[in-house]
Amino acid sequence: MSLDAATDAADANGRFATTRWSLILSSLGGETTEKKAREALAQLCRIYWRPIFAYICRSGRSPEDAQDLTQEFFLAVLKGNLLQRASSERGRFRGLLLTTLRNFLIDSHAKEKAWKRGGAVRFVSWDDWMAEAPSQLSIPLAALENWPAERIFDVRWAATVAEEALRRLQDECEKRGRRRVFDALSSSLTAERDDVSYAPLSRELGVGTPEIKRLLHQLRLRYRQLLREGVAETVEKPEEVDGELHYLVSALAAQDDPRVDPA
Amino acid sequence: MNLFGITDSRATLLGTRSECPRCRSIPRISHGLCLSCLLRTGAAEEGNSGPEEFQAALDAISVPDLHWRLGNYEILEEIGRGGMGVIYRARQRHSRRIVALKRVLSYHADSHDTLARFRREAEAAASLDHPNILPIYEVGESEEGVPYFSMKYASGGSLQEVGPALRDDPREIVGLMAKVTRAVQYAHQQGILHRDLKPGNILLDGRGNPLVCDFGLAKWLDASSNLTRTLTIFGTPGFIAPEQAAGPSAELNRAADIYSLGAIFFDLLAGRPPFLGEHALAVIHQAAEQPAPRLRSVVRGADRDLETICARCLEREPATRYATAADLAEDLERFLEGRPIIARPVSLPVTAWRWARRNPGLAGTVAACLILGTLAAGRQFQSRRLTAAVEKEARAAHSVAVLPFLNLDTARPDEAFTATVAQSLETQLLPFGPARITLVTKANRYWAGTASSDDLKEANRSVNARTVLTGSTRHRDGKLRVSVRLLSAANGDPLLTQSFVLDQGKAAGPDSLRDMAGPVYSILEAGDWSRMTTQSRDPGWRDPRAREFIVSGRQLMFRDTAEDMDRSLRCLERAIELQPKSALAHAYLAATASGRIHFSWDAQLLARAEREAKQALQLEPELAEGHRALAGVYYQTGNYTEAVEEQLRAVETVGPEELVASFLGTTFGKLGQPARALGWLELARHWASRPGDYDGLIGDRWTELGDDERAEAAYARSRELRPENTEGWVGLCHLRLLQGDTVAARQLWHENESAALRADPSAEAMKAQIEFFNRNYGVAEQLYQALAARYLNKGATGSLSYESALGRLQQLTGDETAGRATLEKARVAEQASPAGAQTAEALYRLAAIESSLGEIAPALDRLQAAITAGWSDVRSPRLDPRFDAIAQAPRFTKILSNRARELAELRRQASQSD
Repeated sequence: MSLDAATDAADANGRFATTRWSLILSSLGGETTEKKAREALAQLCRIYWRPIFAYICRSGRSPEDAQDLTQEFFLAVLKGNLLQRASSERGRFRGLLLTTLRNFLIDSHAKEKAWKRGGAVRFVSWDDWMAEAPSQLSIPLAALENWPAERIFDVRWAATVAEEALRRLQDECEKRGRRRVFDALSSSLTAERDDVSYAPLSRELGVGTPEIKRLLHQLRLRYRQLLREGVAETVEKPEEVDGELHYLVSALAAQDDPRVDPA
Repeated sequence: MNLFGITDSRATLLGTRSECPRCRSIPRISHGLCLSCLLRTGAAEEGNSGPEEFQAALDAISVPDLHWRLGNYEILEEIGRGGMGVIYRARQRHSRRIVALKRVLSYHADSHDTLARFRREAEAAASLDHPNILPIYEVGESEEGVPYFSMKYASGGSLQEVGPALRDDPREIVGLMAKVTRAVQYAHQQGILHRDLKPGNILLDGRGNPLVCDFGLAKWLDASSNLTRTLTIFGTPGFIAPEQAAGPSAELNRAADIYSLGAIFFDLLAGRPPFLGEHALAVIHQAAEQPAPRLRSVVRGADRDLETICARCLEREPATRYATAADLAEDLERFLEGRPIIARPVSLPVTAWRWARRNPGLAGTVAACLILGTLAAGRQFQSRRLTAAVEKEARAAHSVAVLPFLNLDTARPDEAFTATVAQSLETQLLPFGPARITLVTKANRYWAGTASSDDLKEANRSVNARTVLTGSTRHRDGKLRVSVRLLSAANGDPLLTQSFVLDQGKAAGPDSLRDMAGPVYSILEAGDWSRMTTQSRDPGWRDPRAREFIVSGRQLMFRDTAEDMDRSLRCLERAIELQPKSALAHAYLAATASGRIHFSWDAQLLARAEREAKQALQLEPELAEGHRALAGVYYQTGNYTEAVEEQLRAVETVGPEELVASFLGTTFGKLGQPARALGWLELARHWASRPGDYDGLIGDRWTELGDDERAEAAYARSRELRPENTEGWVGLCHLRLLQGDTVAARQLWHENESAALRADPSAEAMKAQIEFFNRNYGVAEQLYQALAARYLNKGATGSLSYESALGRLQQLTGDETAGRATLEKARVAEQASPAGAQTAEALYRLAAIESSLGEIAPALDRLQAAITAGWSDVRSPRLDPRFDAIAQAPRFTKILSNRARELAELRRQASQSD
C-alpha cells in the first residue's frame, strides 16, 4: 500500500488544505473535477479496506465471498453510484461508508449468485490480503467471536487510523536515517513520562537521558499531528477531528451497551 | 521481507495480553502499543509538531542508522521485521563479509525468557549444515546484552517475493520444492522440526537456490529443556498444520512440517495458500474443520499429480500425510523425472469415510451404496503405476489378499466394509514401503476366512498373495466392533489379530486402521512366521508331555460317548497338573465337562466347567477355546444370550467354522431369532463336512417363520442327502401336523417306520404327538407311556414333556385326579430343571401344564413370557390339547397373533437376504 500520497492533503505548513473527504463530498455536488475526487476516494479505500472486509466476514460470509464482496463494494463506490445515493446525508467518511456498505450487502443478496468469481478486477490484491503485517491489531479471541459486526468494523477502523499514523511516523524517521530511534522509542509512545525507563533506551542508542526525553516528546507530538491529519482525511471539516477521535475511543471502550454513532 | 514472521497473525492469536494498565483497554497494535491510548494521544491537548520541526529534532540527535555497530558487525540496513525481532543486512568488521543479522527487538530484550529462547533457537539452527539451509555463522551478544546471530545473506529475496514470478512454471516450482523438502528432511534427521515453514522463510541465493531459514521455531524432538517445550509458539496461519492450532501443548511431529511444505507448494502453484480468512484464527479453524481445497479447483489446468501431491501433504489427519519429508521429496523428484508418483489420489472409500465422520447418521447406508457402486465397476485396489522390477518383487513379497469381512449380525459377508478396509489399509501401508493389496470380491458369500476353507486356497491361487486379511464386524452396545485377522495364505495360520471398537455410523477409516499398518507390515517383512501363532505361546502346548495329554483330551472330547468324555476329562486334568497355567488345557476341560452333561445332568460338573472356562480366560483373555467353552456352559444353563456373546468373541479371534456356525444357529433359534439363526445355519450348511447335516434345523426355522415352501425344500434336502437321519422326515411330519394334514403326517411316519425303530426318541415322540394332537387319546397315551418308560429325561426338551402329555391325556380319558397328580409332578420336574425354567421352551411347557390344571390367568401370563423369551412355534398351541382351557380366551388368540405378525416380518427380512 502506497503511503507517499498520504501527506498530500496537508500543505508544508501543516495547515489543512481541502481534505480528501471534503474533496469527494464537494465532487458529489459538482464543485470539483471528478477525476481528482475519484483518485482521492481510491486512496481512502486502499487505506480503509480492512474494516470493510472484517465487517463482511463478521456478517457471515466466507473469506472468499467477503473478498469478492469487498472488491465489488469498492468498485461500486468508485463508480460513484453508491455514494451518490447517500450523498445527501454527507457527514463522515466512516459513517457513510458503513451505511453504504449495509445497503450494498442487502442488495448483494439478490445478486450474489450472478457474480463471477475470480474474473473481476482486483482492487486489493491477494498479496495484500494475506500480507503478514498489514495490521498488527490484537484483540481477544472472545471478542473476535462475539462482537457484533459494527463493533469489529469500528475497532478495525480505529486500528487502521492509529497504525497508519504510526507508519507515517516510521517513514519520516527512516527518511532522516533515524529508523533506530523509531525502533527504540516507539514502544514508549503512549507511556507516561514517569513510566518510561530511560536507562536502557539511553544505553541502546548511546545518548544521554535528557536527549532521549526530548526526542520522545517530539516523537509523541509528531505522532499526535499525524494521527489528526489522518482522521482529518475522513471528515468534512477540521473541527470534526476531535469528535471522530472521541467516537473511536468510546467505540474501543464500549462494552456491550448500544452506542449512538454521532456521525 | 519479513524473516521473523510472528506478526499480525500471531499477535491476534495469542490474544492473551493483559489489559492496558492505564485505560484497561485490551486491543493492541504493533510494538505492543495500546490502541486506545494511541488515539487518546491524538485527542490530548498538546502542541503539534510539524514535519520540519520533527526533522530538526531527529537530526539533532546523533544516532544515525549508518555505521551502527552490533558486536563485530556494522549494520547497513533493516531488511526484515517481525513481532519479536529485526533482521539487518550487516557487514562483518574484519572479513568485510556481508551477512544477515537477526536480533531481538529491544522492547523484548528485557525478558530473560525471550533472550534464553532466542539463544536456543540460534543454537538449534546453527547446528544444521545443509546446502539448502541458510547457514548460521555466529551466535553472539552485543555490549548492551542484546543477543543476535549472523547468517548468510541471501540476496535473492524470499519465495514470498519471488513466488508470483514462478507461478507459470510448475516444473521450476517442483524443483525448488524438492530441494526445500530435502533440506527439511535433513533437519528432521537431526531431530529438529521447523514448525514455521512458509514462503517468507525460504530465501534464495544469487543463483536462485532455495535456502530454508529461521528454524527459529524449531524444537528439539527429544527436548529435555522445559523452555522449548512450554513456549507459546504458533506458526503462520495459512501455512501451519491444523494440529498446531491446538497450541503449545500439542505434540507436534514431522507431519506438521509436511503440511506446511504442502501449503507452500499449493501457494506457489495457486497464488494463494489453501485457506484464507479474515483473521488468523479463522484461517486455522478452517484448516482444522475443512478439507483443503483441491489444487485444480483453484488452478484449473494444474497437473493432476501435483494436485495429488498437495492433497497428500494437506491431509488433516497427520498420519495420512506423507510419512516423511523423504517420501514427499521422492514424489517431487519422480514428477521431475517423468516417472509415476507414488501418492495416489484420495479415492472414494476414503472420501466416504471422511464424509461419514461428519454425517454419522446417514453414513451407514449412503457410504455403503457409494462403495458398492465402486465395486460393481469391478475396481481392484491394486497399486498402480509401478514400473521397477525390484518394486514388483517387493510388492509380491508384501502382498495381501483382502477377503470379505463377515458381518456377525447377519452372518453374511460385508463387502462394502471390506472395500473400505482394503482401501484404508493400502493408504496406511504406504509410508512403510511397497505392498500390494488386492481386494478379492469373487469369494462366494459363505466365505468367512476359515483357515481350513477351500475358499482360502482358491482366493490365494487367484491373486497369488502371500497373506490374507479378513475379519468380522458386529454391532454391540451402540458401537461397531471390528476384528481384523491376518492369515498366512499358504496354510491359514493366524499371524495377527486386532480388534477395534468404533462409534456407530463410522466406517473403518485411517484412524482405526493406523495402529494396524505397522504390525501388518512388520509381519509382511518377516521371513519366518512359524513362531507367531498364538497356540505356541501356551505353556501346556510347549511342554511335550502336557501337550500329549491336551491332544488326546481334545480327540476324545469329540467322540461323543460318555466313556470317551470321561477319559478326555482325565487327560486334561493330567495336563493341568503338569502345566497349571495352560489356558488351553483349562478351556478344553471346561468344554468337555459341559459336553458331558448331555449324557447325564450334573450340576457340580457344570459349575466346574464354568470355573475352568473362566480360569482359561483369566490366563489368556482372547483365547477362542476359552470363549467357546464358556459359551457351552451358558448354553447348558439356558443363558443363551451370554452363550451367543461368548461364541461371537471366539469368532472375532479365530474366525468362524462349521461347528461354531451350527452352535450359533441353534442358539439363535432358542432365543427366538429364527432369521438370525438361519444366517448361521446357512453358513454351517455350506461348510458342512457332511452335506445335509443342517437342513433339518433350517427347515425347522422356516417352519417357525411360516415359510412352509422353504421348510419343505430344506426337509427334502435333508432326506435326500442324509437318508439315515430322522430330522428331515420328522420335521416334515411336524409341518404336516401344523398344517392340519394329519393323514399326510401319519402316512409319512409309517413310510419311515423302519428308520424310526432305530430308537430315535424324536421320531417316536413325533408319532405320539401326531395322535395326541389328533385327539386319538387311547393311542397317544400308550405311546407316551412307552416313551416315558424308555427315556430318562421324560422328554423335557422342546414343546412337551411326556409327563405333561400323559397327565393331560389322563384328564381327557376321564381320570381327572390321576391327571392332576401327573401334571403336578411334571410341574415340579420343570421347576427343578437346571435352566431355572427361564428359557422359552421351559416357559412354554409350564404354560401348557398350568393350562391343563385350569390355572387360566397364570397360564396366559406364562405363554406370554414364553413368547417374550423367543418362543416361535405359534401353530402348535392351537392344536395342543393341553391348551384347551385357554384356547378360547381372547388373550390367547391375541398373544399368538402378535407373535405371528412379528414372525411374518422376520420372514420377509430372511427371504430378502436369502
